[in-house]
Amino acid sequence: MVKIQYQFKRTTALRFLSHLDQQRLFQRAFRRADIPVEYSQGFNPHPRMSFALAMSVGLTSDSEYGEVIVSEDIDVAAFISRMNQVLPGGLEITSAKICGEKAISLSASLCKSVYRIRITVVAGTDLKALSQIIDMYLEQPQILMLKRNKKGKFVEKDIRPFIESISVFADPEKDKCNVIMTLRYIEQQCVKPEQVLESINNQNSQLFLIDPTIEIHRQELLLEADA
Amino acid sequence: MNNFIEKNILPLVTKPITYLGNEVNAVHKIPNPEMIRYAFAFPDTYEVGMSHLGMKILYGLLNEQADIWCERVFAPWVDMEEQLRHHDLALYGLESMMPLHEYDFVGFTLQYEMSFSNILNMLALGKISLRSASRKEDEPFVMAGGPCAYNPEPLADFIDLFVIGEAEEVILKIMAAHRAWKKTGGNRHDFLKMAAQIEGVYVPAFYTVSYDQSTGVITDFTPIVSEAPATIRKQFIEDLDQAYFPDKIVVSYTETVHDRISYEIFRGCGRGCRFCQAGMIYRPTREKTLTTIQSKIKALIKATGYDEVSLSSLSTGDYSEIEALIKNLVCDDETGKVSISLPSLRIDSLSIEMLEEIQKVRKAGLTLAPEAGTQRMRDVINKGVTEENLIDTVKTAFEKGWGHVKLYFMIGLPGETLEDIEGIADLGQKVVDAYYKIDRESRNKSLKVVLSASSFVPKPFTPFQWMGQNSPEEFKNKQRHLKASIKERKISYSWQDSGVSYLEAVFARGDRRLGLVLEKAHQLGCRFDGWGEYFDLQKWSEAFESAGIDPDFYALRNRDFDEILPWDFIDTGVTKEFLKAEAEKAEAALTTPFCPENCSNCGMMEFKKGWKCNG
Repeated sequence: MVKIQYQFKRTTALRFLSHLDQQRLFQRAFRRADIPVEYSQGFNPHPRMSFALAMSVGLTSDSEYGEVIVSEDIDVAAFISRMNQVLPGGLEITSAKICGEKAISLSASLCKSVYRIRITVVAGTDLKALSQIIDMYLEQPQILMLKRNKKGKFVEKDIRPFIESISVFADPEKDKCNVIMTLRYIEQQCVKPEQVLESINNQNSQLFLIDPTIEIHRQELLLEADA
Repeated sequence: MNNFIEKNILPLVTKPITYLGNEVNAVHKIPNPEMIRYAFAFPDTYEVGMSHLGMKILYGLLNEQADIWCERVFAPWVDMEEQLRHHDLALYGLESMMPLHEYDFVGFTLQYEMSFSNILNMLALGKISLRSASRKEDEPFVMAGGPCAYNPEPLADFIDLFVIGEAEEVILKIMAAHRAWKKTGGNRHDFLKMAAQIEGVYVPAFYTVSYDQSTGVITDFTPIVSEAPATIRKQFIEDLDQAYFPDKIVVSYTETVHDRISYEIFRGCGRGCRFCQAGMIYRPTREKTLTTIQSKIKALIKATGYDEVSLSSLSTGDYSEIEALIKNLVCDDETGKVSISLPSLRIDSLSIEMLEEIQKVRKAGLTLAPEAGTQRMRDVINKGVTEENLIDTVKTAFEKGWGHVKLYFMIGLPGETLEDIEGIADLGQKVVDAYYKIDRESRNKSLKVVLSASSFVPKPFTPFQWMGQNSPEEFKNKQRHLKASIKERKISYSWQDSGVSYLEAVFARGDRRLGLVLEKAHQLGCRFDGWGEYFDLQKWSEAFESAGIDPDFYALRNRDFDEILPWDFIDTGVTKEFLKAEAEKAEAALTTPFCPENCSNCGMMEFKKGWKCNG
């Protein structure tokens, strides 16, 4: 048995996949590519595969990680090329490596995500002023936000430790701007980029128009090993 | 990909991925002006339509032609419809995202009557004129086929041409006619005349219907152009084994209703259940060979990555070599990860043995369809199943660990008495008793028996095509009586009919005067009538009223044997004499044997020269 960790990209064409859709898609792709995936034991065997993160509907990404356990040795280059032949346009495996079965799990090695967000801003927003607001926002030692805990209750939580940096850039479209945001994972917990934008809105007047047309792209996902 | 739709509309709707047409095995071509653009339209949601086998066959078949690009279009869900209307965008074919009105053909498949309002809605959303008569030269030809096309008349005003029967061969003839017509530079009318001469094609505009002023029944149905034949002969594929079946099918990203490979092992059914339209219109029975089935399934698994195959047909257990087939398929599956499902199994313990063989893992619920509660009633409908068969079957199932049994029945069958209704409850009780007779150690710990009773809808081309449906009040009383007859706690009873089956009965046996009703209902906003949350009987009543049409005339009236029925101009091969004889036998509760046991001369033998029916 061999564990393969692979990195993949998801572009606009498939950004509307749900996490479940994507799981099903990879399962079927492994079968089309004749990758000998191991199955779990028990009454309801399922293929032994997982992703570092569940991708939300709408998200595009240059850097996602998945892993799969296969029953026989397989050449990494062959794995990549066979998979890319059967994956639909919009998903592409960019690299892969074989790691020991006892290797630390992907979700435990999450470190940082770098996001690029394209969002509509309130008319007349000045980029420089926006930049200053964000700098002031980040100067706070503590940023409290209501977050739902595992039991479903709302609790106040300090999200400041999760935020490494935020910067804003102009967009060709007048009422849009681009935000680059680096967020940290701490003990496998994190904050979503749109929650940060919401928190900025809450502390000021409304600046960002957070609606489903927001475009969120993960540029980089750093694992412990890379960091 | 259309950028505007992708960026501004899809993020706002549910299941956006179903509106992009970029699935694995979806066909994308580079269009050119000579190419025939065909939109295969399924008048229900993506999840329902993508489970439909006929679409997969025709999609593959048409796309094999280099100069045809067949794309798919489904009824957009209400949120998507709202967005399209809000932005004044036309409904589009998924693959190229081209507006529907720009296609050469829009072809609807008619699987159930309750999708008719969706057809009108899709035409409107696609910016295509609703009525054939008002369609302009550059608008698409709107086609329709499928089981409900056997009574095409309620849709006669909206459909330019119907295909009656199996479309695999005739659709290519229609495409050839279109190529030839394009070269002549003729008009719409010219093309329809060419199409009308192809056997199996019905162009409703070329026929005129007259009615009796006082009774409302049809007095005459005649062609008005020389190209249109007086009788339309249904088309069927003689050699199903060699018939086209795609090697690749589109794999949906989202979960569809039947999210698996569905492979048709035979077509037709010789059981002769008298309520069953499919059993009559899909005659004769034609099987595929073991080798074809096995090699095709292997290729499909490879091309799709699915891990489940369903062996589809009208009565899968009737396949002549079913046991060998299952054994071979299990052997072929080297990885041991492909599961096989057997829908439409007959009630016999052999079926349970087969299920046992393929369902190695969990015992999901077992669904059986005795259809009626008493032997007399089952003889009336010619459902060749006895109480003994059923009890033997469930006994075997309980022994093998099943604990959840669902039984399907129909109420409102011809000549039904309250005793027949009570028989349903009794049968449920006997199933429960059979469970308790099994040793406590070997049976499943929990027992659940579900009785489900649906309201019977008489269909064209069945022996019951002349009978009036029970009125909604009669149905209600029978349902109440059934509920009161169930005493056992382990039996639960499910019933749902908010008037849908009444409306279904109207359209199943309606004539072209119903076109006006459909149009009014569409204007009132009717759509997704098959979806409980959107079915609005009130709106339909309003539509009937404003069209000045009494729905009872179609649903509840008993017809005479010599009345001209709206679908009489279609020849399915099964003769009217046979149907009449069957109706009379039903009245006397006499049964008709399974075709392979004894030919009952339904007419199929004489339907096509040189055709030899094997039962």
